[in-house]
Amino acid sequence: MRNALAIAKKELNVYFTTPLAYAMFAVMTVFASYFFIAAVKQFLEASMMAMQMPQYVPADRLNLTDFVVAPVVFNTGIIVAMVAPFLSMRLLAEEKRQRTFELLMTAPVRPLEIVMGKYLGGLAIMAVTIGLTMLHPIVLSAFASGSGTGGSGGIEWQTTFAAFGGLFLWSAAAMAIGMFISSLTDSQAVAAIISLMLLLLLWLASWMAGGADGAMREVLTFLSASQHLVNFVKGVFDLKDLTYFLSWIVLAVFLTHRSVEAQRWA
Amino acid sequence: MAAMIEVKGLTKRYRDRAAIDGLSFEVQEGEILGFLGPNGAGKTTTMRILTGFLPATSGTAKVGGFDVFENPIEVKRRIGYLPELPPVYQDMTVRAYLKFVAELKGIARGQLKSEVERVATLTRVVDVLDRVIANLSKGYKQRVGLAQAILGSPPLLILDEPTVGLDPIQIIEVRELIKSLAATGKHTIILSTHILQEVTETCRKVLVINQGKLVDFDTLDGLRARHVDGKQESLEQIYLKLIDPTGELRKKIAPPEPAKIAAVN
Repeated sequence: MRNALAIAKKELNVYFTTPLAYAMFAVMTVFASYFFIAAVKQFLEASMMAMQMPQYVPADRLNLTDFVVAPVVFNTGIIVAMVAPFLSMRLLAEEKRQRTFELLMTAPVRPLEIVMGKYLGGLAIMAVTIGLTMLHPIVLSAFASGSGTGGSGGIEWQTTFAAFGGLFLWSAAAMAIGMFISSLTDSQAVAAIISLMLLLLLWLASWMAGGADGAMREVLTFLSASQHLVNFVKGVFDLKDLTYFLSWIVLAVFLTHRSVEAQRWA
Repeated sequence: MAAMIEVKGLTKRYRDRAAIDGLSFEVQEGEILGFLGPNGAGKTTTMRILTGFLPATSGTAKVGGFDVFENPIEVKRRIGYLPELPPVYQDMTVRAYLKFVAELKGIARGQLKSEVERVATLTRVVDVLDRVIANLSKGYKQRVGLAQAILGSPPLLILDEPTVGLDPIQIIEVRELIKSLAATGKHTIILSTHILQEVTETCRKVLVINQGKLVDFDTLDGLRARHVDGKQESLEQIYLKLIDPTGELRKKIAPPEPAKIAAVN
């Protein structure tokens, strides 16, 4: 465990001493902020409508959690699919290219510890990346708390945490998949492109489901990460969705371990 | 004295090409072994198998009594390894890098700092400890790689061409460092190099391989006795005899006659 933590710490050290992590923070905050501003604007328009025509838009249905926080977190999901590959690409590919893989593999460290260390480091950087977008509900709560009655107005923190929990699970799955791809090549660019393709496919599988029918439609819907995130975002916690993300994490970490361990047999 | 390294019938094949073929030798504790052979002879492959980085196709290798394949962790605990290219993280400072490697080697938390200082002093990288490795000269990178290998004073040091790319002063420095490590008697050292002078000065035993096969393995004096009739000839003469017994290569590399050069022009 100590070895895994040492590797995780080193990963974070490298992330923060190179511009890569900061560039990804910028990408994440620019898009999330755009989503946030657009959602707040829509909410304002809806509130105006509610005031002018209360018979069409019931004001008590309007709340910031459902109208702003939830859609912003959901939309951020696709940005995660685009940011994660660039954070995961270096995890093992860089070690192979820099020949430091030889250092890790000849140190008294088990392959599982290497993989867990790498993954923990990746998870931490991912947590920071999406943590930055938590600023939005916090800012919102400062202005919106106390207004309205019956939960409308202020932020429902339970739903908000469920939404971010779901987003974190999706990030964790994206990181695990990216790490596995990174373990297969010594080219960071190749690792990033392949992971990006896989994650976008996973996110957009629900679109493809729209054009399919029968069993195919069911399978694609189930495979789609967005379909599982959407429940978390609504504040609905379903074991099925948790299992979905955990399955990807376990599968990808297992495959990465196999891929690193294979070095000892090849 | 116990055997630090026991290699029996070690073979490594890449598809139909054998990188090393039936290699067998033993290295006793405390010996300093010069590992010689032309490029592509299988030196690096042998070292990689000993360190557990690559598996052998057949045959066994033991370090300190532990099989490298069955007990990789025990073997790796006993080895300090400097690969051909120093395995450094370009984006880290020397201090952070050495601390990281020390942690991987399981050096106790309380001793991390003093151990890093110790190897930094030995390899003379103290003045660059807080610089980013990418900005260091080749000589410094090589020495950082060496510092990493001797962290935790492992009983076996495997050094793959430790002086390649260094300037003459640095070569002497590294050679003196290896000699001083050897003098402590705590380390068994395997040193692969192309600088035969280095072997003459630092190693007591010499192992020569060519095309994956063991050519000869003896003390320097033993080699002299058998190949150049005990004359105090340089290792170069012995090496050429071993690698090129028929003399064909030597004919090829002999300087052409002046008349031929003129004809080309």
